[in-house]
This record gives sequence, structure tokens and C-alpha cells, in this order.
Amino acid sequence: MTLSQRIILYVLILTAGASWIFISSDPAGTSASGKTSAPQAGFTAPDFTLKTPEGEEYTLSELKGNAVLVNLWATWCPPCRAEMPAIQKMYDEYKDQGFVVLGVNMTYQDDPFAIGPFVSEYGLTFPILLDETSEVGAAYQVRSLPSSYFINRLGIITEVVIGGPMSEALLRTRIEEALK
Amino acid sequence: MLAVFQNLFAPPRHMLLLVIAAWLGLTLAEKRAERHGLSRDELNNITFYGLLAFIIGGRLSFVLQNIPIFIKSPAGILSINPDIFDPIGAAAAAIIIAAMYGQRRGLSLWPTLDALTLFFAILMVGIGLSHLAAGTAFGKETDLPWGINLWNAIRHPTQIYETLASLLIFGLLWFQKQSPRPGIFFLSYTALTAGAQLFIQAFREGSSLIFNSLNQNQVIAWAALALCFLAIELLLRQTKKAG
Repeated sequence: MTLSQRIILYVLILTAGASWIFISSDPAGTSASGKTSAPQAGFTAPDFTLKTPEGEEYTLSELKGNAVLVNLWATWCPPCRAEMPAIQKMYDEYKDQGFVVLGVNMTYQDDPFAIGPFVSEYGLTFPILLDETSEVGAAYQVRSLPSSYFINRLGIITEVVIGGPMSEALLRTRIEEALK
Repeated sequence: MLAVFQNLFAPPRHMLLLVIAAWLGLTLAEKRAERHGLSRDELNNITFYGLLAFIIGGRLSFVLQNIPIFIKSPAGILSINPDIFDPIGAAAAAIIIAAMYGQRRGLSLWPTLDALTLFFAILMVGIGLSHLAAGTAFGKETDLPWGINLWNAIRHPTQIYETLASLLIFGLLWFQKQSPRPGIFFLSYTALTAGAQLFIQAFREGSSLIFNSLNQNQVIAWAALALCFLAIELLLRQTKKAG
């Protein structure tokens, strides 16, 4: 191929590429934020209402205005156990700034009698919610435990952390982002 | 089938796909390394140092960007959680360390990049598959028959598009004859990848915009494509002069 043939080819390809960029530009369709609810960063967090072992009811959407960590866990899951002290510590440190933790126990795949001793052992003071019918497990499409969803004050998921244990530093970076 | 794949490689297991791709890519690149004038040992060493720098650099870059937090919780620097990671810092560290190694060992730039090209090509396949397993880099909503149900909507399977494009590019490279000039092989790969991204990014959701409406990733891919054409032309001119 001669130089002039190559240059014509380059120009044609670059012109087609530039045209494609303009044709496919879609300012309305580039962000998932707030459009649909899904357990993924950028989407509105799927709503749920669950009860604590004491029967107190919590609805996620009613916590709008706060930064929320939805932590899905089970008593038999070692990384869930390992990250609980850090979560409790961060809850104590940030709750006055509008940070809420919802510790959702996957009760449908856990021993309900192990939950009370677990909460006492780790001295957890944030709400522990019981997912007895896998309502939250299904809505959040849980495939690994622990799964953590950081939700900003507008109810949008800012970060998803699958697996653990989360360190204090990781929690701090994600919480401060959600509190912005 | 998609559900089985996504369950099997659900995060954090999706990172296994990257490890497998890196191993496979290195194995295939090794087979062709000498064709580009690089020994297998040199290829292994540069990849090893590059990957090591990628891992350490990604962690360090994240820490540096969040220094006040890590001063409060210094143990977090050594946390095993892979989320404490900055991929851009990681890539920069890998490039710097690989360049330093290459310079120290007297390796020529273009033959080295040519030898690494198959590694990059397979790694891109792994990245596409890991996106598919994790459900990240997802597409816009569509009513096309090949749309996939992801995040409560039928979407363009952009992860499958990028995997197929990467496989196709790898196939083209694997069967390509010896390039006439060192660097053309790598630049051809980069141009093809940039072209594929320019096309596929149009179907991705959540991309950043520039000038209020243009997809930033597409603009970057277009610029990369233009630079590749320029570099190919310069290399061909050098060859002509030398000849």
C-alpha cells in the first residue's frame, strides 16, 4: 500500500470514528443514577422493610438524608465475623454525621438462635435486621457473604464491596464518599 | 448459561479470570517472544516486575490519595481486601517499573512491546470476562433480541461485545505474519483495540461526558487510534530511510 493510499485509509477511519462518536452521543442515557433500582453502584438502592429481633421495623427508603451501609451477613461466615468490630467502630465514629448501618442477617440461611449471642459477643449497637424470607437476599442478588452496599444521602449506591473482611481504612474511604 | 458463569465467578472470584488470563497470555507470549527478538527469560522478568509493580503501585496510590484516613488506620495499608486499590496508579507503576527494567537490561522498546502484545491481548479477554462475571461495565437498556437481563433491565451485553472483540483481535494477531518493522505488531493491536472500544463504548452505560454530550471513553479511544496511525507512519518512514 502506498503512502497516499494509507493516508486516505487513516482519514476515512478517523472520520468514521468521529462520526460514530457524534451519532452515538446520548447525554440522557449515560447515567444509571436514580433511574432504576439495582444492587450496583450508580443505581437507587433496592428498598426493603425488615424487623429487628425485638420487632422494630426499618425501611431503607425512610433513611434518605443519611449515608447508609447495608451489610449482609451470617453468623457462620468468618469474614463477616472478622469485619464486625471495624463496622461497629466506624458506626460509633460517624453516626453523629448521619451515618447509619443496617446489619441484615441472612436469617433464611442462618441459625436464628445464633444471632443474639453473635450480637452480644461483638457488642453491636446498630440495627440488626432479619431477612427471614430472602427478600433482601433476592433484591440484592447476593452470591457471596459478606456483601456491603454504601448508599449516599440521596439513596444512590456509591460503592459495593463483595467479600471481606473490610478494614477500618476501607470503611472510612467508602463512608466519607457516601457522606459527601 | 450466563447465570451459571456469573455464579461460578461471582465477585470476588471474578478476579480468578484475570489471573488465568495473565497466565495464559504470558504462556502464549512466551511461545512467540523469540520471534520478536526477546528471550523467554526477559519476557518473564519484565512481566513479573510489571505485575508486582501493578499490585504494589495500586495499593500505594490508593493510600497516597487517602493519607488522612490511613494515618488514622495505618493497619489498613496491609489489609487483604482488594478494594484498597487504584487501577490507574497501578498501571502507571507497572509502566514505570517495566520501562526501568527494560532500560537497565538494554531492551529495545518496540521489540519488547511486540513480544508483550499477545499477553495484553489475552488480558483484555480476561478483563471482558471478569466484567461479565461481576456485572460491571454494563450496557445501556435495549430491546434487541440478544440483550441480557442485568441489574433489573434488558441491556446490551457490552461485556460480551468486548470479550468477542478481544478474541477476534487476538486471532488476527496470532495468525499475522512477521511484521515488517518492530513496533507495527504492537501498534496494530493498539489501533484495533482502540477501534473496538470506540465502537463498543457507545453501548456502555454510565460513561463520563465531555463537551456536555460526547462520551469521554470514545474520545480517548479515537485519540489513541489517531496516535497509532501516526506512530505506524513514522515507523514505516524510518524503515524506508534505513532501507
